[in-house]
Amino acid sequence: MPEKKISNNETPSSEKVRVGVYTCHCGGNISHVVQCERVAKMLGKMPDVVIARTDPSFCSDSGQAVIEQDIKELGINRVVIGACAPSLHEQTFRNTVTRAGLNPYLYHHVGIREQDSWVHPNDPEGATDKAIRLMAAGLAKARLLTPLDPIRLKAEKHTLVIGGGVAGLRAALDIAHQGIRVTLVEKSPFLGGRMPQLESVFPTDEEARQLLNKLIQEVTAEESIKIITQAEVTGLSGYVGNYNISLTQHSRGVDGVTTEALMAACTQETPDEFNYNLTQRKVIYQPYPGCYPPTPAVDWEHYDGKPLQVNGKPFHLKDEPHNIELTVGAIVMATGFDPYEPRQGEYGYDQIPEVVTLPQLIRILSRIPKGEPLTWNGHAVRDLVLIHCVGSRELDGVNQPQADGQVNNYCSRVCCTASLHTAIDMRQRFPNLNIYELYQDIRTYGRGHEEIYRRAQNAMVRFVRYHGTELPEVLPAPAGDTHPVLVRVKDYLTRGKEIEMGVDMVVLAVGMMPRQIDDLVKMLKISRGTDRFLLEAHPKLRPVEMSVRGIVLAGTAQGPMNIQESLSAASAAAAKVAVLLGQGQVELPPFVARVDESKCNGTGACVEACREEGAIAMQTFKENGREIRRAVITPANCTGCGACVGACPNRAIDVQAWTLGQYEAMVDAITMEIPAILENVS
Amino acid sequence: MENFNVDTLVIGGGIAGMQAALDLADQGFQTALVDHEPTIGGKMITLSKVFPTLDCCSCITTPKMSSVAHHPNIQLLTYCDLQSIQESDSGFRVAIVQKPRYVDAHKCTGCRKCEYECPILIPNPYDRGLGAYHAIRVPFSTAVPQTAVLDMDNCILCGKCEKVCPTQAVTFTQKPETFEVQTRTIVLASGFELTPLEAKKEYGGGLLHNVIDPLMMERFLAPTGPYGRVLRPGDGKEPTSIAYVQCAGSRDQSLGVEYCSRVCCMYAIKQAMLISGALPMAEITIYYMDIRTFGKGYEQFYQNAQAMGVEFIRGKVAAIHEDDQQNPVVKVELTEDGRVVERTHDLVVLSLGMVPSPGSAGILELPLGDDKFISVPAPNARPCHTTRPGIFVTGTAMGPMDIVDSIISASSAAAATSAYIRAHQNGQASPKPQEEAVYA
Repeated sequence: MPEKKISNNETPSSEKVRVGVYTCHCGGNISHVVQCERVAKMLGKMPDVVIARTDPSFCSDSGQAVIEQDIKELGINRVVIGACAPSLHEQTFRNTVTRAGLNPYLYHHVGIREQDSWVHPNDPEGATDKAIRLMAAGLAKARLLTPLDPIRLKAEKHTLVIGGGVAGLRAALDIAHQGIRVTLVEKSPFLGGRMPQLESVFPTDEEARQLLNKLIQEVTAEESIKIITQAEVTGLSGYVGNYNISLTQHSRGVDGVTTEALMAACTQETPDEFNYNLTQRKVIYQPYPGCYPPTPAVDWEHYDGKPLQVNGKPFHLKDEPHNIELTVGAIVMATGFDPYEPRQGEYGYDQIPEVVTLPQLIRILSRIPKGEPLTWNGHAVRDLVLIHCVGSRELDGVNQPQADGQVNNYCSRVCCTASLHTAIDMRQRFPNLNIYELYQDIRTYGRGHEEIYRRAQNAMVRFVRYHGTELPEVLPAPAGDTHPVLVRVKDYLTRGKEIEMGVDMVVLAVGMMPRQIDDLVKMLKISRGTDRFLLEAHPKLRPVEMSVRGIVLAGTAQGPMNIQESLSAASAAAAKVAVLLGQGQVELPPFVARVDESKCNGTGACVEACREEGAIAMQTFKENGREIRRAVITPANCTGCGACVGACPNRAIDVQAWTLGQYEAMVDAITMEIPAILENVS
Repeated sequence: MENFNVDTLVIGGGIAGMQAALDLADQGFQTALVDHEPTIGGKMITLSKVFPTLDCCSCITTPKMSSVAHHPNIQLLTYCDLQSIQESDSGFRVAIVQKPRYVDAHKCTGCRKCEYECPILIPNPYDRGLGAYHAIRVPFSTAVPQTAVLDMDNCILCGKCEKVCPTQAVTFTQKPETFEVQTRTIVLASGFELTPLEAKKEYGGGLLHNVIDPLMMERFLAPTGPYGRVLRPGDGKEPTSIAYVQCAGSRDQSLGVEYCSRVCCMYAIKQAMLISGALPMAEITIYYMDIRTFGKGYEQFYQNAQAMGVEFIRGKVAAIHEDDQQNPVVKVELTEDGRVVERTHDLVVLSLGMVPSPGSAGILELPLGDDKFISVPAPNARPCHTTRPGIFVTGTAMGPMDIVDSIISASSAAAATSAYIRAHQNGQASPKPQEEAVYA
């Protein structure tokens, strides 16, 4: 049993506190509302403040230089900066004060943009008063700050990539190329995600599966990448650099007997999602020839459990899920998208057999041999309508909300070019087919995409422009009509004329929806935007990182993207992982609980309150020959949530840099009477 | 300047170049960042606020500039031109010319005393010529480095700057200096230019008093701008009716710019929103062919602008002329009802598109696409690889893109570059040169 020397670690510093207070204009974001000069003047009058300055932007190099100079020349040993939200530039200024030789945690950041000027744009007086109070509170806290060191921990040079589509594959490959081990986990039995369901891809007209297979070959050739299919993440604990992951992997189910024999013996069929349920496949299956891994797999979700008859004997297929445990330093979210599934009756979908989605059309076209005409639902297709923005750019009050009460008000960005690209292909293959594109705006924004629009126009694809507030109608044609379907639309290329078209096929250019990953989102404690896609920490400062450190984004899990954009995002994610794990260690902020052993008397209330595994425990020590129990923190496991602080009856625990004493000082400052000081100043 | 070796040379100090350099330097690679301007920051530093978050632009750009300047693994080479590039055993030998600043960069403290003494004022390119700066100056208050530069073409050699300089940094006799950088890889981030305001004769050929380009509007709206408010350059009046002409330099075969420039819809909408804040009484109209708000959060941004009362009119503007009050008169077919009308505004902003920056592509001997941007032979497999192994391209050098896409592209180029460097460090064979492919 260790001998314990109890000490009071609230050692007051003998050094005199000298505070520098900096109020940033934020390029007008703050100064257009808050009178920054007045804030500075007020704070300058307060005790311990040696200097109070303003600057158009303290985050600029010249602004940072001012702070550095003050620390060096005026002996400033506490820094308070009033600026944007700490999420933007707290780290920027920590680096600044470090460069000037000060401990980075002797600086406090006050958000007077998001919390003040942006929310009170019409009340400059009130906002200025609020800024003064917030800054004064910051000052009160800064006086009590003590130097701290970040927690440095060994980081696993190993990354988990969730999702084996094009983005996940690219991210895995690029991370492996940086000398970091990768485990790639894919829920389905096969790699490739959505990409193999495409045929030719814009703007290069390359074969999707050929491109993908090249990438898969590179990935599988890489020794440092381990691929685990038919598996899902079922458990997670830990933190950046050291995430403990549990995976559950299902059996492939075809071991023991030759695959050919099993495939031949399997008679049960189920809708083939590879062809968007247009066709049937067996429950032992390969989605397409040339898929990876090439071994067929059992579709456990649809398998009816009846034994197969192999060589005259019953053969039982059995799923024996097993767990895999691993430790990784970072996680790549490459969970991808699903095409928007129209409601029953939306533009006649799931009611009129002639109505299909664009992804379905691409599968239909792939099944028509070269030189043969386009037929659908048993008749030749002479006239075809493509409706854009189905499940995208929806408007509240116009489009019917989905189950969660929301409409998809975002643009899915790929459907315009994909529609036109498919239309050109059809006009070449079926020269007598008339194609009408019903659109709102044509968004062929990418490199080489406008050319596709032009080619579609030259190929005599016809365009009809509708308004998002006056959606086209798709109806069954009256009996005896020349066409099975009637489309009614107001065309704003011909002055809003109402037109009716008899057509043989209606194609809905559906948008993208994020995959259903609620469990993962909950487990990883990550955020989604209002569009339900995963949310980046900041669109410009940290565009592929999530706000949880060590979790990065690749591809359409983040929002609609085409293949090229998914690849770029995946590579960018790899760059971030390389920076994070390259050194083999990570730094965690020191904002963790700390026990004042002179006050702790071993009640154990903190241990009960703690929600993190292994963060706090009671240990027995010997003190002067007597056994005592004291709480001991494991900083790496502590998230600094503060639950223990509230539970302790003796005020023996504090979260470092956010102590109860500091909070009290802040509250006192925020509620102070300021008119007296104001008189002195103005 | 001594010759030196690096793992990678990044060409261009705009947002893409800075991000690529930071991502590589953060991984421990020795990085040199070269820019032909006397400061880094590129086009982005001259913007006001950026879509769709309406963050102030300096808040995003200046900390990145600062990080570049202080990074132990980044060597910053400003006011330098590329002279030649030769392949060598270990990558490329790049000859670089340090243009004379006529100021000793080691001595200059950026105190700007020279600037305050200088009697010569010339149009300030960072303000699109709307404001003026001195013949000797630090380019702008947040420039990196904070080193003065003297414009010899406009200097009258009065010697006042030399006298006032506390560190005797001004030297009128400085000469261009050539040095060599040996690098394993190159990242080209040479950026874009606007299509010229003068290009379209139908829109006044740049001669109309109150027809401006969008970067001028950025300067009107920026808190660091020359006037701190929006006004007509023709007569200084506050405009009450402002129009945006979309696709004024894009999707236009008559200009040879057939592609979409991707950013114009969003910057026009953003500026319209900012103007509504600055001039609440102003009426703002956007004439467009297609509104292309395709990015994350962009469609919502468009809907917000509509809700704020910005008028969106579908029609490609045919011509612009001026009335006797110097008001621009826009002739346009309103395609929604088929009428051809003339509408008078106080100020017209031409939503000009992006064309590639001239320069480095030629020296690097990289083939161009039909759109004159750097050719990327395999966009759906290796979106940052050029035709030359070891040379990567990022940002608007490979085609129009917005800031978000440029930053992602830059990190992606950094990943490709670092993989290449590591592969060569390990003594592995270099990847096969990519097959030459024509951009579709």
